[in-house]
Amino acid sequence: MITRFLGKSLLVFCAACVLVPLLWTLMNAFKVNADLLTPVPQFFFDPTFENITYVLSRQSVFGALYNSLIICLSAVGLGLVLGLPAAYAIARNPNRITQEIQFFVLSLRFLPPVAVAIPFMVIWLNLGMYDTRWSMIITYSLITISITIWLSIPGFQQVPKEIEEAARVDGYGPYAVFAKVALPVAMKSLLGALAFSFVLVWNEFMLALMLTTSDAKTLPIVASEMSQQGLNVPWGILNAAVVLLSIPPLLLLGLLSSFLNRSFAQKNR
Amino acid sequence: MAEIVCQNIKKNYGAVEVVPDFSLHVEDHEFIVFLGPSGCGKSTMLRMLAGLEEITGGQLMIGGKVVNDLEPRDRGIAMVFQNYALYPHMTIRDNIAFGLRRIKVPEHEIKSRTEDVTSVLGLGPYLDRKPTELSGGQQQRVAIARAMIKTPDVFLFDEPLSNLDAKLRATMREEIARLHKKLRTTTVYVTHDQMEAMTLADRIVLMKDGQIEQVGSPEEIYERPVSRFVASFIGTPAMNFIELKVEQSGTEWFVVGEGVKLTFDSSRFDVSVGQQVTLGVRPSDFEAVSEVTDRTLAGECDLIEYHGDQALVSFRVGSVHLHALVAARQRPSEDEHVLFQIRQNTSHLFDATTGRSLLKQ
Ligand SMILES: Nc1ncnc2c1ncn2[C@@H]1O[C@H](COP(=O)(O)OP(=O)(O)OP(=O)(O)O)[C@@H](O)[C@H]1O
Ligand SMILES: [Mg+2]
Repeated sequence: MITRFLGKSLLVFCAACVLVPLLWTLMNAFKVNADLLTPVPQFFFDPTFENITYVLSRQSVFGALYNSLIICLSAVGLGLVLGLPAAYAIARNPNRITQEIQFFVLSLRFLPPVAVAIPFMVIWLNLGMYDTRWSMIITYSLITISITIWLSIPGFQQVPKEIEEAARVDGYGPYAVFAKVALPVAMKSLLGALAFSFVLVWNEFMLALMLTTSDAKTLPIVASEMSQQGLNVPWGILNAAVVLLSIPPLLLLGLLSSFLNRSFAQKNR
Repeated sequence: MAEIVCQNIKKNYGAVEVVPDFSLHVEDHEFIVFLGPSGCGKSTMLRMLAGLEEITGGQLMIGGKVVNDLEPRDRGIAMVFQNYALYPHMTIRDNIAFGLRRIKVPEHEIKSRTEDVTSVLGLGPYLDRKPTELSGGQQQRVAIARAMIKTPDVFLFDEPLSNLDAKLRATMREEIARLHKKLRTTTVYVTHDQMEAMTLADRIVLMKDGQIEQVGSPEEIYERPVSRFVASFIGTPAMNFIELKVEQSGTEWFVVGEGVKLTFDSSRFDVSVGQQVTLGVRPSDFEAVSEVTDRTLAGECDLIEYHGDQALVSFRVGSVHLHALVAARQRPSEDEHVLFQIRQNTSHLFDATTGRSLLKQ
């Protein structure tokens, strides 16, 4: 009884640690600067939409939102299209070479982003593709592919071999077995890879900073620029930008988790 | 319908030889059971028949066609897996129809065939559920339905009942037997449960270390085991074995050992005087008697297992423990002195070194 109570309190405490700063940000997005800068935190205030309106009214924000969505969704899509078959092949043929591949793919992520960014900069400049959406999509695809491969391998390994063999006996070839059996059965664990690679590129800052100047700027870059307007940090605007930045990943996670709940609910019925 | 011919089939995993040399001719309509201890290569053999495992050497023919290098779908087989291997993301209906969908069978025909198959197996009410919402026995029936609907030439079963409880296993065993009676499809069935093998098989293939130890009808295997291994593997409770030596005095032949001297009918066996042999007697071939004869074994009863209608009496003769199956009402009490006689012409003799049966052909 007491341990249960303690456990629950601990959970509530942890949840609060995570949620309070987020809620605070959300609240601050609707405050005027005077309310924001008081030493005593204000819980009750007249909400203002000034910040949000300001953020949304700026051309650069819309452009960046558009860029971010296009670049990230394409990169995630490419990551899935190329990463999932690769992960499946590695999961189903465990040998020395595939082990090396599995590790090599991730090793890209071990380098500091700057070390990756500079060669990319040179490459895109030489190809005349610097500061284009295409260059960003390809660059980000490398991240999403590696993350997708790394995170999907366990998912595919969990698909019982017998199920695939049954499909082979039922007459399906290897590609059909992948598409009609392995993929749907592993789906639940693959969604995690999808969500994670999206969040990773959506929040990516360093590469975007170095590979874009105006046309292909992404939302994190634009949001960060807002904090550099003069000496008075416009906290309200900054918070509003953060809120805007957080909405797409939250929407995605919400969609995914409802999907997950649905599939789990079916299982437990 | 098809016959299966295995000619000198071999299987290596790298340097490990799992099946050294396997030859077998399965007749059309026959129900063959591969029986053997764990790890003896039954599944490997079956999977080679199915085309899921590469054949290292030899020739495999199904229905008069060499199928060594054919894909499973081109062999005319259907397989039921030990853990059912149902597609977890599909409904039962789709699970059953999955194979037909590939060969573009028209949807109305799929429907009628699904109905036929599921009504035979009593799956009607579950068609729209997912596999996880079914009990083990129901899942197994779905797996069988999935195999049946393709009307294959050969059914392959890999220990289909081993995940079920004893009662359900008996029921399913009966269903499989009934199904085979009706469809008469050539069947290869893997199990390590001798009860399943005895009740289902037309012929049992008893395997040991990847090799065929004996092929024969259940009766042949039970009555005339070719080796001590077969004799000990088949029959519950297991056969008793006593190490003895052959002696002759006049026209009488004896096997003699510590506290044991028994006559036997020498016309049944190929033995020579002085040969070391193993005497094998099934527990049910002992009968309690009150007088000592030259076919009796005397000992101290030290444990009694009550089975209901029968009781298994464990008794000690010299240093060996023997078991006798007696009617429960006539069981002795523990620590009693017991006297058992071996029924005429039921004993087996095996060569003590090779383990081969010495029974005359
Ligand atoms: N992929 C493999 N690589 C190496 N050895 C293997 C492989 N698969 C099976 N074996 C070996 O082959 C032998 C036969 O295995 P198999 O699965 O056919 O046994 P089984 O008779 O079906 O046993 P069980 O009753 O336990 O299912 C075993 O000794 C096993 O260790
Ligand atoms: Mg097996």
